[in-house]
Amino acid sequence: MRLALAVLSLVLLILAGVVIYGQFQSHWQDSQKEYLNQALAMAKTPAEKASLEGRDPKLEQNIVASFKDAHGGTIVDRCESCHIAVDDPRFDKGNEPVRTHPYLAQLGDVQKNGRWERKHKFSEFGCTTCHDGQGHGLEKADAHGEDDAWPYPLLGFTVQSNWDKSIALHVQGKDYLQANCARCHTDKDFPGTPLVTRGRELFFKTGCFGCHRIQGLSSGTIGPDLTQIGKERKVDYLWGHIVDPRAYTPTSVMPKFKLSDDDRKALVIFLKSRQGTTLAESPMEAFKLDTSTIAPVPESAAAVAATVSANLSTSARGEQLVNGYACLSCHKLGDHDGGISPDLTYEGLIRDHDWLVSHFRTPRSRIPDSNMPAFGLPENDYGDMAAFLLTRTTSPPAMSPADTYKTLCARCHGDKGDGKGVNAIYIDPAPRDLTLAEFMANKPHDRFINSIKNGVPGTSMPPWGKVLTDDQVNGVFSYVWATYVKEKPRELKPRKVPDVNPVAMSQQSVDRGETIFQARCIGCHGKKADGHGPNSPDISPRPRNLRNFAFMNSASDHRLFESINYGVEGTAMPSWLDYGLQQNDVGDIVNYIRSMNKAAK
Amino acid sequence: MSKEKNSMVKALVDLPKNVWMSIFRNPLPSSDRGRAATSFSNFFLHIQPVRVSRQALRPTYTMGLGLISFFLFVILMVTGILLMFYYVPSTTQAYDRMLDLRSSVAFGIILRNMHRWAAHAMVAVVFLHMCRVFLTGAYKPPREFNWLIGVTLFILTLFSSFTGYLLPWDQLAFWAITVGTSIAAYAPFIGKSVKFLLLGDATVGQEALLRFYVLHVVVLPTILTMFVAIHFWRIRKDGGLAKPEESAPVPVPVSVEIEQAVPVVASAAVVAAESAPRRFTIQGLVRGPFVKVGKLEEDTVFSWPNLLIAELVVLLITIIGVMAVSIFFNAPLEHPVNVMHPPNPAKAPWYFLGLQEQVSYSAFWGGVGVPGIELLLLALVPYIDRGKAGVGRWFARERVWANALFLTFVLINVVLIVIGTFFRGANWSFVSPF
Repeated sequence: MRLALAVLSLVLLILAGVVIYGQFQSHWQDSQKEYLNQALAMAKTPAEKASLEGRDPKLEQNIVASFKDAHGGTIVDRCESCHIAVDDPRFDKGNEPVRTHPYLAQLGDVQKNGRWERKHKFSEFGCTTCHDGQGHGLEKADAHGEDDAWPYPLLGFTVQSNWDKSIALHVQGKDYLQANCARCHTDKDFPGTPLVTRGRELFFKTGCFGCHRIQGLSSGTIGPDLTQIGKERKVDYLWGHIVDPRAYTPTSVMPKFKLSDDDRKALVIFLKSRQGTTLAESPMEAFKLDTSTIAPVPESAAAVAATVSANLSTSARGEQLVNGYACLSCHKLGDHDGGISPDLTYEGLIRDHDWLVSHFRTPRSRIPDSNMPAFGLPENDYGDMAAFLLTRTTSPPAMSPADTYKTLCARCHGDKGDGKGVNAIYIDPAPRDLTLAEFMANKPHDRFINSIKNGVPGTSMPPWGKVLTDDQVNGVFSYVWATYVKEKPRELKPRKVPDVNPVAMSQQSVDRGETIFQARCIGCHGKKADGHGPNSPDISPRPRNLRNFAFMNSASDHRLFESINYGVEGTAMPSWLDYGLQQNDVGDIVNYIRSMNKAAK
Repeated sequence: MSKEKNSMVKALVDLPKNVWMSIFRNPLPSSDRGRAATSFSNFFLHIQPVRVSRQALRPTYTMGLGLISFFLFVILMVTGILLMFYYVPSTTQAYDRMLDLRSSVAFGIILRNMHRWAAHAMVAVVFLHMCRVFLTGAYKPPREFNWLIGVTLFILTLFSSFTGYLLPWDQLAFWAITVGTSIAAYAPFIGKSVKFLLLGDATVGQEALLRFYVLHVVVLPTILTMFVAIHFWRIRKDGGLAKPEESAPVPVPVSVEIEQAVPVVASAAVVAAESAPRRFTIQGLVRGPFVKVGKLEEDTVFSWPNLLIAELVVLLITIIGVMAVSIFFNAPLEHPVNVMHPPNPAKAPWYFLGLQEQVSYSAFWGGVGVPGIELLLLALVPYIDRGKAGVGRWFARERVWANALFLTFVLINVVLIVIGTFFRGANWSFVSPF
């Protein structure tokens, strides 16, 4: 026992030694010693020598009074404990960390009598104000933010261990520091930050502003507010999310925009510069910005308007506007295909002026679940753009049904007819899966022909009857049937379904309908009846959004009764007569659904 | 005059010796009487009995778990007080203070690491200590009440660790406490109020940080210290550690002359009488199985030095263990709190992950019902299991059913914690850690 005591005491002593030794092993002291040795060798006067000889390494700490860090805390930068030579011009060829911070005219540094003078003095600005990183840290890994828990690694320099290698390549380099320049230099065309300016242009040109709000710049509401995205996200996330939004948020409706790497870089730098209140704003200015409504004409509209020639016909002006606003970064028009949104090639045949203008103004007034933003452009631009689209009246040349399908239908319904065309994920309600024989074979042909010819209101299915002849429509339908459905139409059982809701519309009926709906239907259709119930992600085809007023108001009582009473074959909708609902219960539910859409309209 | 001077000089010469003796009362003991006197006359040593059974000293019997718990608590007190010098319970400063501890406070890293790892270890060791006590049947009369105190101490330990979890104010802390307090809110009737009382707000924020801080550094340690004291006192009053029935007190008459009522505390007299024959005096009126005066139990040894050395060894092992782990593994520090970005999944501290796993099946039953019943059963164990057999032995054959039942509960909880810790990914879906 006594031996154990002795051995353990020894072990404890050794451990204590290790701890104490570790405490006095600091790399920053080594850097300072290296600096002092070299400076001693360079010293010219005895006085200089004497002062250096008397110097011991000491912790250099910069407490920045003028600026706050991202959390509003005081900036404490100890970077110069290692980077001891940043302001000593003799070390411009030194090895990091004992090296002079470059003097650059771009940074506003000036030469006076052969000596450089900094504009951004480290004592006033600190280091992390421009470079990010963790000013408190005294070990390299801490100070540079190499630990992936640190939200602000050295901008454009430090790559954290959990970053995707292919992304990390792109988000390095001095250029990224421009993002932090813009924290103070907020002028739109500040010459020192060309990439921020470029990113800002792209933000408008690519249409980002339509969905995203940035305080003082845009007011989109479909996507998240990006006012302080630079504070919340690191550059690797920004890059990766722009490349493939769904890799980060599986349910994202943000399109994969086709951008070059240079454009992505500019956008990432611009977004990184969005840190909420900028250091240049006073609290009052920030408040005003936050509460102000953005003028309906965003920066890009003014810029585009400036490039459009004044003396043009409305449709020619509209054409320039459509190109200027980068509509085609999503839409297809002729040979140009953005790969995200519907084909506008035959728009003049399909839509009329009113439809187009009201859709421009508020896309969701026509297609309630559209992911197209309301861009808030000038009203006369809408008119001109509509005028241009209305010139697109050339029908496609006569083609075989297979080619017609490929040209007009495959973009949404997919080459395999499975409803998974290139732009299908951006379309809500989703394109019909034509291979779902269980559904297709149990519906009357007329209904499909009608959908093709007249379109389906409230969805992206356009009335092709205005583009194709009846023969062509029938041909495409037969082609679809033979190629994808591959089944004979089943004999439809005669069903007892009222043509008109027998239950009179009344508040009592609506209330009863709501009670039943909230008890029976919300698992799939959701509490708000918007089709987003808790079970909905696992269901294909997705449950119908019963608040899609354009669609619901076009659906007859007959159809609603049939779907509720007997279910919809090939979908998760069961027959509710089998689950104990009575005809008048269904009538109440139909009244409830109708009442919601009346209000919505 | 000269005589006075002489005594003055003598006083000065003897000063160190006199001071020493006035503090320690006895020279290093060389006789049994001295050993007894040493234990009696020292405040810290008198917490222990003069003689202790060999059974209690066997490492395989207790594994020193209770003592380790206590030493971990001491380590936590010491490191905790040192950390208090650097910590500010403010949402804007707390995280920066963590960074300072990591990079620029002297011994900051080791202090924080030791505090963190000792806290985790204490939760585990207190639990293991409880298992030991159960599996050796040591909760049986007269030790029922001490078991109850022990269960209270276990809960207090969990709560202390839980309140400390929030203080670094990083993502891990914030979301673990958010999850933990949400579990508490599932309790019927009082759940919501308890949550509000803990947080001082609807969500975790400045008020919660302050409350957790005060609970963590003042309220809980005070209560814990008090209960530890009661726990120790009861061990003495209940006749030391539980012993097997066979070796239960067999009174052995010892030739003791009760002739000289010299109070042992009168140290000078004791020192002078060091050479006198062994004698013991009655220290007080005692009854029952508690203190044996005039009778020496068989199979006991003097606490000085046997128990003392054993305790020192356990203390050293504890400190070395905590320190070694702290040198090699840094306490986690994640992102600063970002209320807008919950991690997926947000997990409670590991010792509550079993609860969280249960909550994922049923909020009320998993979070409140089942653990409440388990705790109640645990507390009532000595009042339900009244059988007298099988005390003081590991896995006694007579107690096979009680032990099996207990181990089943332990196993279920451990498995749930393991599942919650390693097998749960985003959206609490099952993932393989391999």
